[in-house]
Amino acid sequence: MINFEDEIEKFQPSLEIEQAEDVIYNNDLTDITDILKDLLKEKSKTYYDERG
Amino acid sequence: MVCPNCRSNVSDKRIRCDRCGQDLEIYKKVYRVSNMYYNQGLAKARVRDLSGAIIALRKSLELNKLNTNARNLLGLIYFEMGETVAALSEWVISKHFQPDNNDADRYINSVQENPTKLDNLNQAIKRYNNALSFAKQGSDDLAIIQLKRVLQLNPNFIRAYHLISLLYMKNGEREKAKKCLSKAARIDVNNTTTLRYLKELEPQTAAGKEGDASVNDDKDATSSIMPVTSYREEKPNVMAFVNLIIGVLIGLAVAAFLIFPTIKNKDANNDVARNHEDYSAGLAALEEKDAIIEQLQNEKDELETTVATLRAELDSIIIPEVNPNLYDSLFEISSLLTEEFSKEERDRDFKQIAEKLRLLDTSMYETDAALQLADKFKQMVYPIASEQFYDTGHDIYGEGRYEEALQYLFQAYYFNPDNYDAIYFIGRAYHRLQDYDNAKIYYELIVNNFQDTRRYDSAKSYLGQIQD
Repeated sequence: MINFEDEIEKFQPSLEIEQAEDVIYNNDLTDITDILKDLLKEKSKTYYDERG
Repeated sequence: MVCPNCRSNVSDKRIRCDRCGQDLEIYKKVYRVSNMYYNQGLAKARVRDLSGAIIALRKSLELNKLNTNARNLLGLIYFEMGETVAALSEWVISKHFQPDNNDADRYINSVQENPTKLDNLNQAIKRYNNALSFAKQGSDDLAIIQLKRVLQLNPNFIRAYHLISLLYMKNGEREKAKKCLSKAARIDVNNTTTLRYLKELEPQTAAGKEGDASVNDDKDATSSIMPVTSYREEKPNVMAFVNLIIGVLIGLAVAAFLIFPTIKNKDANNDVARNHEDYSAGLAALEEKDAIIEQLQNEKDELETTVATLRAELDSIIIPEVNPNLYDSLFEISSLLTEEFSKEERDRDFKQIAEKLRLLDTSMYETDAALQLADKFKQMVYPIASEQFYDTGHDIYGEGRYEEALQYLFQAYYFNPDNYDAIYFIGRAYHRLQDYDNAKIYYELIVNNFQDTRRYDSAKSYLGQIQD
């Protein structure tokens, strides 16, 4: 059974077109490729550090 | 492919970048999975499973944010679901990552080229937000009105369909809710919220159907059991035909005596009902007109009262008579001043002008400029006049004519209350005239207010003498 009060709380205001800029700027665009790149860089750095 | 490390182009067959030596095997796998999710998203979008497509495309972009096709498709799906801002955001980001040869250009232009459409979409968003506020405040009717308008402006706005359905469900309007949810389902067939709300609307009907079905089943079960009768040859029966004819005749008689008058009565009743309706409508119109007349009468009374009040206010306003000689005194003073300033400095006499300024009545002056001019004249003339009155008073004092000297010294004091010489000699003149009470007043003025002046010591000494 749907509880109206609980259900209405799930609805969030829609972003207006004027706010699109904020959405674009605040978008987290980190993907797996970025994470992989960082990991591999860290790994190679550690490798060279250990070798002296 | 493009090497993620150094951004140089590498052949797809290579497993290591020729330029930086980066191992590309793992990146290739990631890109493959990203493309797989894109294909999945595309397949779902083709069958209008937009919610499912969004999940797949987001996964694709989490793996490879540079997957332009996935991002553009995600934008299209958002746009289809009425989420304009999300759509535009995705296309702008897509354009950022791939500025050239990008379909996002076309999508953005198609939205921006039609300002009316864009304005409608924005209006829809604003109205949706208003409706949501109304709904949260409990003003369901207002929220529904707003949402209807939202759906006119943006007929694909899934969230608006959900909200309006929820409000209909709250108010027990299940059919309307169902209709809205069906429209939402036509846009996005597999939307979880749509399906959940539809399921919420189902149980009663499903239970009803089940109940009907069980009754029907019982009927079928009983109706299927038929008593087995023995076979008997049918014989021709004349009575049956006679009964049939009698029945037809009775039927005709009933029709003639009962049904036709009833039909006639029905027509008459309809006429009465119609007349009654006409009468009721006429009565309602009459009542409405009476109400309008009463309202107009009230408005007329109010207006008459307002007119009377305004007329009284108008009568009470006294319009000042324009006095053509109002500023003559000011002009005269101005002329006298010009005359005095044209003389040698030692020959100038401002005493008469100061006296005229003192007697000047500025209460009827209507302009600030005239008042400011009079003040300016006073500031200019009074200090000089005070000195000149003091000089004359002092000379007369020197001649021993103390009472006469007091007149000039008081003028000097009036035109400059800080003229301590004048104050001091007022005190001295009174002292000479043996009016010690008045002399004390002016000595005290010097002692209390002009300690740093050359008259202080003398005034203090004379004050001491009087007090002794």
